[in-house]
Parts: sequence; structure tokens; C-alpha cells
Amino acid sequence: MTGIRWYHLALWIAFVAIMFVMPQLVSKGTLRIIIMANFLAIFAISWDVLSGRTGYISFGHPFLIGIGAYTSAILTKRFDVPLEVAMPIAVLMTMIGGIIVFLPALRIKGSYFALVTLAFMELIYQLVQVIRPDLTGGTRGMSGIKTITRGAVSNYYLSASLLIAIAFSMWLLMKTQLGIALSAIGMNEESVRGSGLSTTKLKLFAFLTSAFVAGIGGAFYVHYLGSIAPRALFDINFLFTIIVAALIGGASTIIGPIIGAFFLTFLLEFLRPYLPGAERYFIYGMVALLLYMYQPKGLIALMHTGWNKLTGAR
Amino acid sequence: MKLKSLLIAMGLATSVTLAGTASAEIKVGFIGSLSSDTGLSTLRGAEIAIEELNAKGGVLGQQIELVKADTAEDPTEGVKAYEYLAESEEVDFIISGSIDDVSLGWMPRMQEFQIPTLDTWTSYIGIIDMVVEDYDSMKPYFMNIASDEALATLYIDFGKDVLAEKMGWKSVIILQEDTAFGGAINGLVTDALAPNAGIEVVDTIVYDVATNDFAPLFSRATDSGADFIYLISSVNSQVVSSQYVKLQVPMGMTGVNVAALGQEFWEDTGGAAGGISTLSPVPSVGFKLDPVSQAFVDTYQAKYKSRPVMPHFNGFNAYHGLKQAMAAAEEAGEFNNTTWVTAMEKQDLTLKMDEEMWLRYGFWGNDEVEERTGRTYPHNVRFDITAPYDDASPSMVVIQWYEDGTNAVVYPEKYATGEFTVPSWVKKK
Repeated sequence: MTGIRWYHLALWIAFVAIMFVMPQLVSKGTLRIIIMANFLAIFAISWDVLSGRTGYISFGHPFLIGIGAYTSAILTKRFDVPLEVAMPIAVLMTMIGGIIVFLPALRIKGSYFALVTLAFMELIYQLVQVIRPDLTGGTRGMSGIKTITRGAVSNYYLSASLLIAIAFSMWLLMKTQLGIALSAIGMNEESVRGSGLSTTKLKLFAFLTSAFVAGIGGAFYVHYLGSIAPRALFDINFLFTIIVAALIGGASTIIGPIIGAFFLTFLLEFLRPYLPGAERYFIYGMVALLLYMYQPKGLIALMHTGWNKLTGAR
Repeated sequence: MKLKSLLIAMGLATSVTLAGTASAEIKVGFIGSLSSDTGLSTLRGAEIAIEELNAKGGVLGQQIELVKADTAEDPTEGVKAYEYLAESEEVDFIISGSIDDVSLGWMPRMQEFQIPTLDTWTSYIGIIDMVVEDYDSMKPYFMNIASDEALATLYIDFGKDVLAEKMGWKSVIILQEDTAFGGAINGLVTDALAPNAGIEVVDTIVYDVATNDFAPLFSRATDSGADFIYLISSVNSQVVSSQYVKLQVPMGMTGVNVAALGQEFWEDTGGAAGGISTLSPVPSVGFKLDPVSQAFVDTYQAKYKSRPVMPHFNGFNAYHGLKQAMAAAEEAGEFNNTTWVTAMEKQDLTLKMDEEMWLRYGFWGNDEVEERTGRTYPHNVRFDITAPYDDASPSMVVIQWYEDGTNAVVYPEKYATGEFTVPSWVKKK
């Protein structure tokens, strides 16, 4: 492990403490918003592990999340498989999906890779509607999927614990030499290969890790929602929300996607009472665009700058 | 520092929201799309009903306030919208103009919060099946549009009575959009309509929803030798409809054409809609209205100048249904998942035309079996699928647009305001 300082751990403890006391500070309605933000943060972290680090921009992330969500939903609803069995199988299936996404990365990169991953998303969108609609629920999807727990507070603690566990694990991983090597691929893959490291193995590791997180997130997400529909999951808006959360928060970091996810989710929900219609999506898009233009490194960079100005550091 | 500011802002905003919920008003939540004709029809129907109720003193001695939650026709946004209405706004009753998968998306939240909820647009029989299978958790839910199964059953009669017997059509070619909806309706036509009406399906043409040149497809349909085209289109139906008219395709065309349900269809097709027909839930465009529903339309048209200029069927459902929900609350003394449900189950509004039953807003008894389909429809609006339709409204009607821009109901006969016909360029059999 490299670069871990005492204040990093202090910040993590503070983050956990804030998340722990949150139900005492805010209303249940706000907790529901945070739950959605927690899941978006998990998806954004998952995307960032793959795309933010290695530079292989994936437009097919809902493909992975969808495998996790649909596998667990089908197993529990159609075959009465217990949650504790269905969810690990869902994660395993998602990792197999991760290998499928990885295969094109052996030969192509850049915009070609992005387009191929987009095709994966489109493919599964069509497949779940026509292949065995008796299992997938077809175009309407499924409702009445088993939930893990009920109520805003317990669901909040569940999603927050999941987010903290994933974020902290990924942060530790990225502090290892393996994590640093992944970031190096994003900077210059040829140099990494030239230094004697197997970029194929490193990329496979990144794809599997990303899929692992997407699978866990997808499985928990569907058992929180209690319903699933292809139009909601394999949707370009869902994909863009994940990517924008990672970019606007700060790609190639762990806290960045979390900040981005919270910022975007709260922005949309707090606008709801004042702009109930489509106007809030316009504001949302404008704010995201302006922020990204002003600081491409995301909100985390803005916060660093603010902190440095405040403390007089350079 | 920024995070702290954000948290303070979040806290302040939450306080503002909570302060807003403290007033002693009955809160009605609207859930649906705020940018579609469908969603706006339900919203406006609810708004007019609330204005009229408030003018008479409100409900339970309190004024009614409407809170809107946009779903943007997205199932996940629907879940967020329901959570917002339930936990941030703490509404007493929810009226929905949601489409099928959006309603299915928020249904687990309805089961969790147990808020009395009325759906006015989705007709998915699967939701009524959920009421049958799990009455305890689904009982605050009501649907005041006839379920799609009932709609389909009556549509088969149209095939027999009109397409086969009156028009003498014996063969059909199906022109179906490449969507799951298209596939489902195709299955219905092939498996039920065609055999029951004695019509042979000679071919099926499946087209992509992005298609903008239908000339080759219409040529293929003409070459097939079929008597008529059965169109199944829910996406951009204006395009295929207007090209059918402009190309003067020499064979009749009917089917399911979602765009034709709105009064703007003529305008949307640039006046190229003559001859197009479609099934529609009631009341539809061209439907003769009873005095109460007509008064609602008059108020609607005086109040709203933007589209939809005429409420879709779900606008009527929202107007009458919301009043029934409030009447049930008066009877029960509150909104809850026990006494309100019992009171709502008993609501029964018969709207008459010339002393004859015309429209009915009541619900099937929980154990009551509909004779023709042989099943129960708890919490689904009462419908009648057997002539002479004197027990309740028919589950659907068939409407047609004529070449002069007018429209009419052409089936069933009791509700017909015009005759089913083919456009002038099509030779009658």
C-alpha cells in the first residue's frame, strides 16, 4: 500500500460517522433520495474502476448492472431461490458478463471499444424483451420482486453500508501497486507493457473487479426497487447518469463518483417541488455541462482548490 | 467546507419541504408524465375535479391540494416520484396517469406505503392478477379503465361482426411495428381474432419503429392479395397513417393505432388521416357524451388551450374517479387501507344518456365472476362485453377518422356515431 496518510483514515471515519447519524438528521423523504444516491455512487465507482482507471470508456455498463439485477430477480421471483443464494449467483453471472465485455478490449480501444460496449447494452435490451418473456417479464418487466428489508431507515443503512464497504475496498485496492498499474494503463498502455507487465491480465482484473461491483450493486438495487423493467435499466439516460456522476465528481478517484452521484441526485430531487416537469432535467443538464466545462477534473478538484485557499496551502 | 455547506443547504431545503407538509389540507398526489398527452389528461381531469370539490368545501372539511410528481415515463423515475409523494409530501391519495411498466415499477411502493391509489391509464391485466393473488397488500389499489383482456375480448366481436360479416373480408396481412407491444397484439390477432372471425392471416410484415418510408411495405401488402391490412402501431403512428393516405394504398386498413386516439391526430398527420381506424378505451374521440361528461369537457376546453385539446379517456377516468375517491373518504372518515377501501369498492356512478345507461364508474365485486371470460376482476372498473351493454360501459369502442377530418365511433352499434367504411380510393368488396 502506498500513499495512505492518517488524515485519509480520519476522513473515512468522518464519512462513516456522518452516514451513520444521517437518519437522525434528515427526513425519511431525504433518506429515500440518499438511498438512490448511494446506488448511483456504487454504479459510478464500478464504471470508474474500469473506464476512469484504464481509459477503456464503457458505454455498456447497464449491460453488467442488468445481468446482476435480472439474474437475481429471475432466480428469486420465478424459481423461489433464497436471496442469499441468488445474489452471489447474480454477481458471478455479472463477472462472466465482464469477461464478455473484456474480449473486445483485447483488440480494440478508444471510440471503437465504446461503440462495441454500447452494442452490448442494446443487445441485452432487445434480448430480455423477446427471449423468454415468461421469465424476464418482457417489455413490461417484473414487479413484486422480493425486497431485503422495508422502510426508509433500514434500506438507508443497507445501501449506505454497501456503499461504504465497496468504496473503502476499492480505495484500498487503488492504493496497492496493482491499482497504480491500472491507472498507468489509462495513461500509457504501451509503457506499461514495455515495463514487462501483462496489460491483458491487468485489464482482465479491472473488468472483473468492475463487473463484481456492478453485479453486487445491480442485485441489491433490484431488491430495493422491488421491480425491474428493460426500459429503465438498459436506457441511455441511465448510462449517461452513471458516467456523468463519475466525471462530474472526479474520475479516477473513489470519493469523486460518490460526490458526483450525491450532487446529481439531490439536484434533481430538490428541483422537483419547484420545477415538477421536464424543466428540471434541462437545469440538471446545464449545471452538469457548466461544471464539467469549468473544471473537467470534477467537483473533487474544486473542493481541493477551495480547501487549499482556505488553509493557505499551495 | 463545500460539503458542510451542501449539508446545511440539504438540511434547510428539507426543513422547507417539511414545513410545507404541516398544513391541514388533504393532499392528492399526481403521478405520471407531465410532458405527454396521456399524463396531462389525467392531471387536468384531477385538477378540474379538485377545483369543483374545493368550491363545494373540499373533503373531510378541508381543502384539497394537488402535488405533482413527474415520472418522465421512466419506471425508475416512477419509483422516485411515488417515494416523493409518500414520504416527502405525505399525500393522502394518489391518482396515476402512468403507463404499464411505470405503474409496475412503483407498485411495490404502493404495497409498502398502503396509500389509496387510483390508476387511470394502464389497463394491464397482470396488475389485476396481483390484486387477486395478494389482496391484503394490493387492496388500496384501484384501476378505473377496463383491463386489456376485456378490451381484447370485445375487439374479437368487432372482427366477426364488422370485418368479416359486414365488409366480407376473409384474409389479412399484419403490418406490425417491431416492439414487444406489437408482438403481443400480433399474437392476439393471430391466435384469437383471426380464427374466431374466420379470417386468414396470409403474412406478417414487421417494421422498425424508425421506418419513414412505408411505400415498399405497402406494395408488399398489396401484392399479398389479402383483403385488408391490420396495423399495429404505438410509436410514431402518424407516419404510417399519413403515408397510407398519401400513397392511396388500395386496400382497407384497421387495427391498433395509438396516435389516432387523440383529437390532434388530424393535425399531427397534416390532414392525411382519412380512413384510419383503431380500437380505443371509452370514452374516446367521436364518443357521444352524457351531460355530466360533456360539462367536464366544456370546463376543460375553457381552461386549457394547449394540447391535448380534448382529454383522452384517462382524463374522464381521473375526473370521475377522483370524485369517487373523495366521496369514499367522506364515507370512511379518512384515507386508509381498510374503511376507505370498503367505501371505494362500493362507489358506483352511472351516467345516463336519454335515460339509458351510458357510462359506469363502479368496480367489480371481489368474488364476482364475469360470465364471458369466467374470471374475477377485483378493483377493476366494471365493464360490459356483451351486447346490449346495459350493465356497464363497453370495455372498448372502435373509432374511425373520415376524409373530411371528422371522427366517429363505429362499433359497437349502441355507441356508434358513424359507420365503418373504407377510404374513397379503396374498392369495396
